[in-house]
Amino acid sequence: MLKRLGQSIFKFYCHPDFQEDILGDLEEYYEHNLGEKGKAYANRKFFLDALLLFRISLLKDNWFTQNIIYTTMVKNNIKVAYRSMMRHKFYSMLNLAGLAISMAACVFIAVYVQDELSYDKHFQNSERIFRVANYLKFANNEFNLPTAPDPMAKTLKEDFPEVVKAGRNRGSASMVIQVGDNYYQQNNITWADQEWMDIFSFDMLRGDRQHLLDEPNTVVLDESTALKFFGDEDPIGKTIRVDGEDDMVVTGVIKDIPENTHFTYHMFISMLNREDSRQNFWLSNNFLTYVELQSPDQKAAFEEKIPEFLLRHMGQQVQQFMGADMKAGLEAGALDVRYFLQPVSEIHLTSDLDFELGETGTIQYVYMFSVIGAFILLIACINFMNMSTARAAIRAKEVGVRKVLGSMRSQLISQFLTESVLSAFIAIILACGIVYLFLPGFNQLTDKSLTNPIFSPDGLWPYLLAATLVVGILAGTYPAFVLSSFKPAKVIKGEIANGKSSYWLRNLLVVIQFATSIFLIIGSILVYSQLDYLQSKDLGFNKDQILVINETQLLGEQLNEFKNELERSSSVQAVSISGYIPATGQLNDFPFLREDSTSPDEAVSTQNWYVDEDYIDVYGFKLLEGRFFNNDLVSDSSAVIVNEAALKRFGYNENPIGKRIKTLGGVVNNESQSFTIIGVVKDFHYQDMTTNIGPQCLFLGNSRGSVSIKFSPEATAEVLALAENTWDKFANGRPFEYSFLDELFQRQFGEQQRVKTIFTLFAVLAITIACLGLFALAAFVTEQRKKEIGIRKVLGASTFTLLNLLFNNFTKLILISAVLAVPFAWWYMEGWLSEYPFRIGLSPLVFVLGTLGVLIVSWITVGYQSLKAARRNPVENLRYE
Amino acid sequence: MKKYQLGEFEEYVLLTVGVLYDDAYGVSIKEEIEKRLKRKVSIGALQSALRRMEEKGFLVSELGETTNARGGKRKRYFKITAFGKKALDYNMQTRMELYNQIRDVALQFQLC
Repeated sequence: MLKRLGQSIFKFYCHPDFQEDILGDLEEYYEHNLGEKGKAYANRKFFLDALLLFRISLLKDNWFTQNIIYTTMVKNNIKVAYRSMMRHKFYSMLNLAGLAISMAACVFIAVYVQDELSYDKHFQNSERIFRVANYLKFANNEFNLPTAPDPMAKTLKEDFPEVVKAGRNRGSASMVIQVGDNYYQQNNITWADQEWMDIFSFDMLRGDRQHLLDEPNTVVLDESTALKFFGDEDPIGKTIRVDGEDDMVVTGVIKDIPENTHFTYHMFISMLNREDSRQNFWLSNNFLTYVELQSPDQKAAFEEKIPEFLLRHMGQQVQQFMGADMKAGLEAGALDVRYFLQPVSEIHLTSDLDFELGETGTIQYVYMFSVIGAFILLIACINFMNMSTARAAIRAKEVGVRKVLGSMRSQLISQFLTESVLSAFIAIILACGIVYLFLPGFNQLTDKSLTNPIFSPDGLWPYLLAATLVVGILAGTYPAFVLSSFKPAKVIKGEIANGKSSYWLRNLLVVIQFATSIFLIIGSILVYSQLDYLQSKDLGFNKDQILVINETQLLGEQLNEFKNELERSSSVQAVSISGYIPATGQLNDFPFLREDSTSPDEAVSTQNWYVDEDYIDVYGFKLLEGRFFNNDLVSDSSAVIVNEAALKRFGYNENPIGKRIKTLGGVVNNESQSFTIIGVVKDFHYQDMTTNIGPQCLFLGNSRGSVSIKFSPEATAEVLALAENTWDKFANGRPFEYSFLDELFQRQFGEQQRVKTIFTLFAVLAITIACLGLFALAAFVTEQRKKEIGIRKVLGASTFTLLNLLFNNFTKLILISAVLAVPFAWWYMEGWLSEYPFRIGLSPLVFVLGTLGVLIVSWITVGYQSLKAARRNPVENLRYE
Repeated sequence: MKKYQLGEFEEYVLLTVGVLYDDAYGVSIKEEIEKRLKRKVSIGALQSALRRMEEKGFLVSELGETTNARGGKRKRYFKITAFGKKALDYNMQTRMELYNQIRDVALQFQLC
């Protein structure tokens, strides 16, 4: 029994060559033992020996004993691949160049996408952190705000056990900070709760995490700001003076917040310093409110409880201040108040609310770039496939000979796959070189600062390695199967010369390539002209030769003197004091009603700007009716100047001058303030060009944040020097902060500029790579037809006829591509343009131009080869036989 | 030299195969070594050493005639090859060279 078991175990693992004699030995030994020591011992011994014979050198062929990779074969494959590359250096180079360039483009896109996806994932618990955002609608005013009322955070935490932490921050201010005797202009200052700091748990360098902002007059700095203020000294406990009045103590230093965060702050002031953070007012949304839930899955259930929560807390104030019943209003649809949670890691990509912090909603770019990247890689792969199949005629004999010598089809396939994978690897190495070479440009374009995106530990290299393999296999599969399918007898007889079977597929691939190129070219022409249109569109006011000086409230009472001194210069045309500068995103809206209205439903939310009497002289917008403010008229303090859009909303269509508008308070408890319209201005773009012009009201008032100077042309340097000198006279060392309005405007087009550059870049890339492919393909086709060309020429064909012959095919293909690409481009670009309130129309000319452009480029590409072939002496082509 | 690498046990097996000449198969080798060296030899160790040395080329083997003994299983007879002989010679020689290099003094064991 034991002996049989031993036998079968031994047979199971032992190499069959050794089984017989070893078993024989065991048997002999068994019989020997049987005689001397008895059956039980012999059995036991047999079994034990059988087990102990489990030695590597005696095992069956297995995973370990076999060579996993047949190195000789692979070596040979690589050698052949190298030789066939070297034999056609020119075409291999074109192929590799195309592949490398497109891979570099894809790597860039991958780098971009990876960075975009990494936003806000670096916080501890980031999957449990949510921002409270809202959608509000009353009368005809809609808001999508990332902010919440001041009591929201506190109340949520009190009412719901699932809210672990809730914290707020507000503002991103730029203020003057005095440290000792030095002044610094510090931007990105925010006011934050201690609990806000707890939620995000930034990396602490100094200070006590638990007690950062829990007392008034405390600040937390980030590392680079601390370094700027204090150098190497320990900043904890030191005092800084904020905005010339408040002394604050530094309680902590955090590490700089990573760039892939949806907010950018350098300095945090305790929220306890803000009176408005304790007013318990539910009807204004000014605080960015973040909550940390116990678990991310509670989001949906939590949001369902919010409407009831709002009714409970907000209802009373709605009644009190708006004179309406909140519940009835919600049910009637006159009012809509929805608060919801945004997962913090999705804010950067998907949130697109009003007044977002920084650029968000970039998911469409992520999609767009990914698609374009895939297209470009597709074009390069197609090139590769086309070239390989086109060269089939040359490789066919090799295949024939190999098959005759006994090569299996699978071996041939692996041979061709090796070639394409090898090419892909050479290409990716080149591509990485290109990526690192152009990284600075890429950073500039995308507004990022990446240094080592590929080879850092969490870099892209594993993905790249995998992607390269996939590309190599994808690009190589089709040619491998086509080439390996040749019948040796036919090939060696010379019957398959030009690979007719792959003719259609090749054409199809060329059509896809050129359809993509045409789409990208049309796209970039349209993006370009839309941007050009926006940039040259009449703004409704003059943006040139205006110098804006910021932080002028620091001059206090001396501001008017400063203004008067500036006005004395001959090169200064006008000076205005007002914090409201177009295009800087300064917004201040609250609702107004027409004089005779009785219901808050008729409220119009307007942009309300406080300006001085010289504002119109500086900005030069058009007054359609009435007059501008006059400081000497006391009545002008209750006067208003409205724009056309506001007039339309108020319904004052005729003779608006002298009509009045009132604040919302009037309807509820007759405490309204009313203003008389004294003038109407033509609509001007007070916001950026990509948003519609809404209702706007100008008031004569105190807003001392900035001074705008309108100066004569060509006096830029002189005025700048004058302004700075004058400033220094008044400011006792406070920093001089200025900008030119036209530059501010230019900066607003950053995003569009980026789209334009990227579209153009990709269009150029796509057409270049496609043309590389076309060039190589044309060369091969002409090469194959050279005898035909020779005979035609002998029979009297002119160069023109020959060119025509060679062009015909390509022209047809490109026209087919255009037919495919144009409708798609039309549809896609119409969608893109429809997001702009001010946009160009889609003119058919653009589409014709795009197609024509591609056609001409490809004619030039093919033309070089064709002309060479057509002009060659026919004897050279025909002599061979 | 790597080429002639031979472990201690391998060397004994190789020598024994040489001694037994045309009767060197598993059991006889095992018994011979056990008899001469007075130590136990496991079948597993012996067999794997044999196959290893066959692979290195020190030994060749062939199967013998079928007999009724041993459950009808044939014996595998091993023979030493010229290369195996060379390996033995090399091993012996290097050992002797080393031995001869030892100065006499080193081998005179006295109480100091």
